[in-house]
This record gives sequence, C-alpha cells and structure tokens, in this order.
Amino acid sequence: MQWLYARGLLLPLMLAWVTSVAFADDPKTTAVPAPAPTAVVAAQPAPPTPATPAPPATPPLTAAMANKDHTTADHSRFEALQKDFKSGPEVTEACLTCHTEAAKHVMKTKHWTWEYIDKSGKKLGKKNVINNFCTSAISNEKDCMACHAGYGWQDKHFDFKNEKNVDCLVCHDSTATYRKLPGDAGHPVYERKEFPKDSGKFVEAADLKMIAQLVAKPNRANCGSCHFYGAGGDGTKHGDLDSSLKKPGKYLDVHMDAQGLNFSCTTCHQTDEHKVSGSRYEVTAVMTGNAHTRGAKDDKNPASCQSCHGDKPHQQNPLLMGQLNAHTDKLACQTCHIPEYARGGVGTEKSWDWSTATKMGPEGKPIATKDSAGRRAFDSKKGTFVWDSYLIPEYKWFNGDMNYSARGDKIDPSKTVNINQPEGTAGAADSRIWPFKVHRGKQAYDKEFSYLLNVHTAGEDETALWHNFDWQKAITAGMASAEMPYSGKFDFVSTEMSWPIAHMVAPKGDALACAQCHQAESRLKGIGGVYMPGVDGNKYLDMFGWAAAILALLGVIIHGALRTICVSRKKRGLACQRW
Amino acid sequence: MLKVIGGFIAGIVSVLVLAGTMMGSFMFREIESPFTVEETAARIQANIQAKKDKGWSLSGLRDPVKPLQAAGENALPVLLIEACSTRYSGPMLKDDKTRILSILMPCTITVYKKNDGKTYVGLMNAGLLGRMFGSKVGEIMAEVAADQASFIAFDPSKPAPPLIKGMPGAGGGAGKEAGGGC
Amino acid sequence: MSAVVNRIYLYKGYERFWHWSQAGLIFFMLFTGFEVHGTYEFWGFKTAVEYHIYAAWALLVLWAFTIFWQFTTGEWRHYIPSLKKVDAMIKYYTYGIFVHAPNPYQKTTDNKHNPLQRLAYLAVLSLMSPLVWGSGLFYLFYGVWQPTWLGGYLPLDVVAFVHTAGAFMFLIFIIAHIYLTTTGHTVFAHIKTMITGWEEIEEEHK
Repeated sequence: MQWLYARGLLLPLMLAWVTSVAFADDPKTTAVPAPAPTAVVAAQPAPPTPATPAPPATPPLTAAMANKDHTTADHSRFEALQKDFKSGPEVTEACLTCHTEAAKHVMKTKHWTWEYIDKSGKKLGKKNVINNFCTSAISNEKDCMACHAGYGWQDKHFDFKNEKNVDCLVCHDSTATYRKLPGDAGHPVYERKEFPKDSGKFVEAADLKMIAQLVAKPNRANCGSCHFYGAGGDGTKHGDLDSSLKKPGKYLDVHMDAQGLNFSCTTCHQTDEHKVSGSRYEVTAVMTGNAHTRGAKDDKNPASCQSCHGDKPHQQNPLLMGQLNAHTDKLACQTCHIPEYARGGVGTEKSWDWSTATKMGPEGKPIATKDSAGRRAFDSKKGTFVWDSYLIPEYKWFNGDMNYSARGDKIDPSKTVNINQPEGTAGAADSRIWPFKVHRGKQAYDKEFSYLLNVHTAGEDETALWHNFDWQKAITAGMASAEMPYSGKFDFVSTEMSWPIAHMVAPKGDALACAQCHQAESRLKGIGGVYMPGVDGNKYLDMFGWAAAILALLGVIIHGALRTICVSRKKRGLACQRW
Repeated sequence: MLKVIGGFIAGIVSVLVLAGTMMGSFMFREIESPFTVEETAARIQANIQAKKDKGWSLSGLRDPVKPLQAAGENALPVLLIEACSTRYSGPMLKDDKTRILSILMPCTITVYKKNDGKTYVGLMNAGLLGRMFGSKVGEIMAEVAADQASFIAFDPSKPAPPLIKGMPGAGGGAGKEAGGGC
Repeated sequence: MSAVVNRIYLYKGYERFWHWSQAGLIFFMLFTGFEVHGTYEFWGFKTAVEYHIYAAWALLVLWAFTIFWQFTTGEWRHYIPSLKKVDAMIKYYTYGIFVHAPNPYQKTTDNKHNPLQRLAYLAVLSLMSPLVWGSGLFYLFYGVWQPTWLGGYLPLDVVAFVHTAGAFMFLIFIIAHIYLTTTGHTVFAHIKTMITGWEEIEEEHK
C-alpha cells in the first residue's frame, strides 16, 4: 500500500521532469544556440517563401533551426562566415575555404554544365535541347539562368571554370529567403525590388550573412525553387512536381507527407560528390531484384522505387500466387501508384501554343487572361495555354532512353514533331509501361531549313519578343546567338513532349484498381505487347466457342422437344416413328 | 385463372424491379461537358447569375474532395455548385405541407471528372421530383427545371469566367444579409 | 405397362459429395472465368479473379482427395473405356429414345456408366481437364515461369487461348451432361439418383 502510494506520487513527478527536459531547448527561447542538441524532431521543411518577407532587420529565423540536420558543425560560429557578404560569389569563396572540393564536384554535374551527352554521343542538356515550353535558353540566359546553380551566366562568355561562380546557397539555404529572379543571370536579390514587374509585390534583398550561417542539407523547397517552377510558373512543366509538394498531405505523396514520412528530395535522389541521382536524361525504366541492403554493394540507381521496395513489393494471400507482383515484369510502379498527377491544387499546363503570341488586346496593347481556376490562359507575349489538374497520364512502353530533338535537327512539319520520344519495345524485357505527361503545343520553325527556331524572347532590348512583339526580329536575334542560319521564313508546327511521371505517389489504397485496366474501357487500351485478361482475347475463339455452345443448347432443346412429343403421342396410342 | 393472376403479379414485380433499377437515371441527369471541371463550374455559376430576374443567386461552392484529401485519400475532382431562388423557395417554405422539401435546398449542381478524363455535370430531375409532391410544387419545380436547363447551356464563344469560391451570399434574390443564397 | 422397380445403391456418399461439390465449383469457375475474360461484369474484375483462383485451389484439393478415393476403392475402373455396345447407345439416343425403346444398357454397381458415358468422361479426363488445368496452372503461376527462359517462348496469349478454349469445351459438356440427366425413366430420375445414391431400375413387366 505504502509502495503504491509512493509510485503514484513518483509518476507525475517523473513526467513533469521529462517534460521540462524535453522542452528545455525550445528554439523560440534559445537566443544563442547550444552546441548542436541532438534534436528528436524530424527535419521540417522550411516555410514557404512569403510574398514579401519581413525586412532583414528582424531575422525571421534563429540559428537554432540550422541544427535540424543533426550536424556537428554550427556554421554561425564559423569565422569565415562572420562577414557582410555583398554578393553570391563572395559567399562561395567563404564556403570553399573549408569545403575545398565542393565546387569541383558541382562543376562536374548537369546542374552546372547544363549539358548531357547521351549514349549515341548526342549533346543534350538544357544548354542544347529545345523544349516545348520556353523553347530554348540560348539568347535568353539572363532570365533562364535564374535556375542555373551558378552566378553570372548571361551569354556564351560565361566562365565555367571559375569556382566562385558556383552557387552553394540555392541548394543549401534553409531560410527560404534566398531567391534568384529572372533577369539577374543567376544572382540572388541584392536590393529590394518589385517582382513581377508592376505587380506591387516586392522581393526583399537576401541577407547573405544570415543565409550563409544557416546553411543545411537541401529540403524540398530548395530543389523546388527550380524544379517546381520549371517553364516559368508553378507546376507548368512536370505535372508531378509543383509547390504543393513543399508541404504535401499524405494523399498527395505518401513519402513526402509533411505529417508522416516527410521525405526530402534527396531521401530518394541520393547524392554522391554533389551528383544527384535519378535524372530524366538517364531514366532507370526497369529495375529487378531485391531492395538495396545496408552493407551490400549496389550501384543501381537509388532514385527508383525498387531500390527500397524491391521488385516484389506486394503482400497478398499466398493462394493468389503473387498476382500483383507478377505485374512488375510489364509495368513500372508509377503506372498504378500515380493514378493521376497534378493533384495538389496547382494544376499543370497541358499545352502551349506560341502561334497566337504577339496578338494584342482590343486596344492594341498586350493582354494576359486567366482561366476559371486563375491559371494563365493567354498572354500576348507567349500565346495560348491550356491547364488542368488531376490529369490521367498517357501510357507508353519505355526503356529509359529518350530520343531528343536537339537544336538543328531536321523535322517534318507536316507531322507533329516529337521534341522527345520515349524509346521502348512493347513487351520487351528491357521496357515497362510508364505513365507520361504529354505536353502539346506549337512553336516556330524555319520553313526552308526545316528545323525548330531559337527565339530571343526574354530581355529588355529591341529584338526581344516579349518587349517588341516582333517575331521576325526575335528569331533573327535568337538564331544569331545560337550561331545558326535562318532563312527568314517561319511558320508554326505542332509539337509534343513526354515527361515521365514519378512523383505524387498516392497512398496504396488509391493505386489504380484492377478494372481500370482490365476492362473494355481500359487505360491501357491499345498499348500492345501484353495480354490483358478482360480486354484482350481471341475474337475468333469467342465466336466459335459461343456458336458451339448455342448449337449444343439448340441441339438438346430439339432433342428434348422431340422426346416430349413422342411421349404425348405414345400416351394417345400413336406411334412416333411415322410422322 | 391461377396462371392469369400469377402472370399479372409477375408483371407487376418485373415492372417494379425495372423501375427500381431505372430510378437513378430518372431522378438524375448526367451530361458531358467540353470544359475542365473548374471552367464548367464557373460557366454554370455565370449562367446562374444571369438569371437574377428569376431570383437566382449563388449559395456556395463546395469541394467534397478536400476533406477526403485531409484524411489522406484521393478522389477525382468534384465541385458542388449551390444556388437558390427565393422566388421558388418562398412558396415552399411558407407551406407546412411542403416545408420538408427544404431538404432539397439549396439547389445543387455537381461537376466532376471521371476516369475517362472527361468532365460531367450532374443534375437533379427537378420536374419529375416536383410532380411527386402535388400540383403546386410541380409547377414551381417545372420552372426550376427550365431555369436549370439554361444553367447548363454553355456558350463556348464567351471567355471562361473566373470560378467564384466560397459563399458569395449577398446579391440576387438572396438579399444582402442572407449569407449564402437563400 | 407397369414397371417393377428394383433399387440399387449406385453412388456412395463420397462420390455424391465429390460430384456435387465439383459441379458447383465448375459452374462457379465458368461464371467467374467468363467475367475475367471480359464477357460481362458481375463481381468486378478483381473479385472475379480472386474467386476464380480460390475455387481452383478448392477443386485441386477436391481432386486430390478424389484421386485417392478412386484408387483406394477401385472406382477408377468405371472410367476404363469400352467400345462394347457403343453403337447400340448411339442408336438409342438418336432413335430408340423417341420410340420409347428400352435403354440397351442397364446400370449395375459394377458398371455405373454406359459406354458413351465412359467415352465422354474419358474425354473430359484426358483432353479437356489437361487443357484447362494445364493452362490454368500456367496462368496462376505466371509470376514463377515468366522470368525464366520459358517466358521468352510462351506468351500469355497462348495460355489464355488454350484456357478459354477449354472453358468453352466444359460449357458444352455441361449443356449435354445436364440434358442427358433428363433421359431417365422420369425427367429427374438421374438427378435423384445422384442425390440419394439409389438408382431405381425399371424392368419391363412381361
């Protein structure tokens, strides 16, 4: 009895003590950070960028937040970072005093070179390809290079060898206050400025000292600052990557669920020497075998579902003999587990038609209109757009190789030009059925030389399309920058571009139901290369089989009828064989 | 004789079974829309607002998928457009015999996407429903049905209007203080 | 024209259990199978597939027991084909049955099946069953053999074709089989025998 009483008293006391210890390091109350407390809380994504961040006089974040990476180094105490940095390159210089090899690593990656040489030796990468959106970065560097992991790439004279030009902060900023805007050739905002122009919204100057002191491992917002906003707007390009993934609910992505697993991009896209795994230029379309295991040497792409889940991930009643797992020889995981994309409310662009660009409003002035959901529908600068959300992917056999049209490739203007073409053979062991976002559009091509044109769109000069609304001048200038001949005659050609869908993985309960493929109105209608019960079948066998069954039925009916007649005739004393 | 009666009963049963299975398609109508879910809803909203002379106003716009998403699940988009007209609600709300029909208020039109990727509009068959509750309600609902038909008449030559979110409330026949249509 | 009725105990308890549970399972598998094939929608594809597979396992277990039973009891001998009196049986079904001629064959406990039946059941056992079960097991174990060398040679289309063809054969067999149950001395006589086990043997009163 005595002991029970004592325990009753002890428990609340212990609880109180535990609680007080647990909350002792509340970041709000910690002005000067204690040396790296081992935080129990899982890494939280940085809050979304406010439209007008608070002025730098009152830093919105404390240094304690930098410790979320369980790091052993508190950068706010580093001598090299106790400096009022004036520019990005200055910060990089400071970073490199300790991280001596970091810039060398970055310089080998696509994030720096914007170039990729494929198996056939063809030069790809953002520097060389033409896409279906803003079309080309060449001659538009000042705008486009806002997303280059470097400083100052504004024309072809950019120094790719200068380590100070590497931008460390765009990936390692943990404050969500570091922004690089179009027009600044990759430099962050040094002075408060209005953006977009004439919008009344202002972007504050980046507090480089604070940002440098709070560097951390990249979170979703870091990667998202470019990859969510590709093609000049939230959700425009990919469809499976947009700002809704900064803090997604479980419904949107079961792994990135901010309240659950809370994966950052690099949880899957594991990096090595700053090289980020899993690129759309080198897609792992097929992966077999078990999940990677700790300790086992494995050089397979970590940014794949199978690297964690293996190729037999479904648990089923053993009597069903692994029916679901038996699908992995034909289907990519994404095909069932991303049943729709652009589910986060942002939506994505389905098409971009440049041929209507330069059309003016009723008063002869450039106009911009929005669709019912508030997304861009028309812009005199850019043409006509179609947007939607919760889109059903298009499915194609894919072996991981993308056949891109690079600048200068001949096209056939009588047909839709495939900006890129997923390669793959229906039913082949090296291919799987993948979901794609297919973005359609129209863009300018040279009527005589039959190739897509490089257009000088962005800029404040007289030749820029978005400034002067003159196609001829813009093309002439763009082609001059690209050092390619232009015949002087242009028209518009239909184009399309395929983007493999790999993000926005739905919870397992929302995976595609069997019948969404295995029925007449199948999502995989006409995909070929695989026999699908419920859809396919030999129609001659069916015809013959049913005909035979009906004949058999008719036969027994006639036989039975004759018997009945005979029985009744016999009852009346008549013979049956005489009629 | 037994056969005749049996046949009669069998006939009635089969008609009832048929009616039961067909009921859904009598009570509700589904039409395909050429626009996205948002644009379809916005165009319907604009059409409703164009019927101010008949007392129509928007009561609200609901997204029943939102709570599902909050629970960690997905469903293809659905938007419920709620509208009301005091001209029609008034007489029904004033009569004890028809007050129960307030259960159908406000008038809801649903816009949704299906797995074929197409947008559909779902409507209640107001005309048929009204006839089930006597001639007075029948007359009112016949007018509602006529108005409804105009709500889903789209003019593609007009630009897409913006979607009106939330509870617009004031305006139309609802009165400024009405807070959400009727 | 009155008949003297002799009763013999033709079908033992296990035999009857086997027959009816097999009949039920085959009906069920035909029904679910044609749904999986896409002929109609009833349970929905997923459920139909699962039911079809569970029924297949149940039938396999039933067969395991039945094969054991056939050999331990010697009942398997009833399936040995014989051409004796086949012509008489054919003549009976195409002519005699209409003129109410006597069935040329009398069932006994030693000879449960008439020669045509023996041939039909032999066809079921040696042709239809191997087709359906062979292809069905390949279908079921797709995930096992597909990744091996066999996967390169055997497309699922072929497996499905054979399986469907077998299903049609069973469907036709069932139509004939059920009809022939009505050819006893009364319409339901054979079915009654299969339920109670007792066959009523009709003898013409001389």
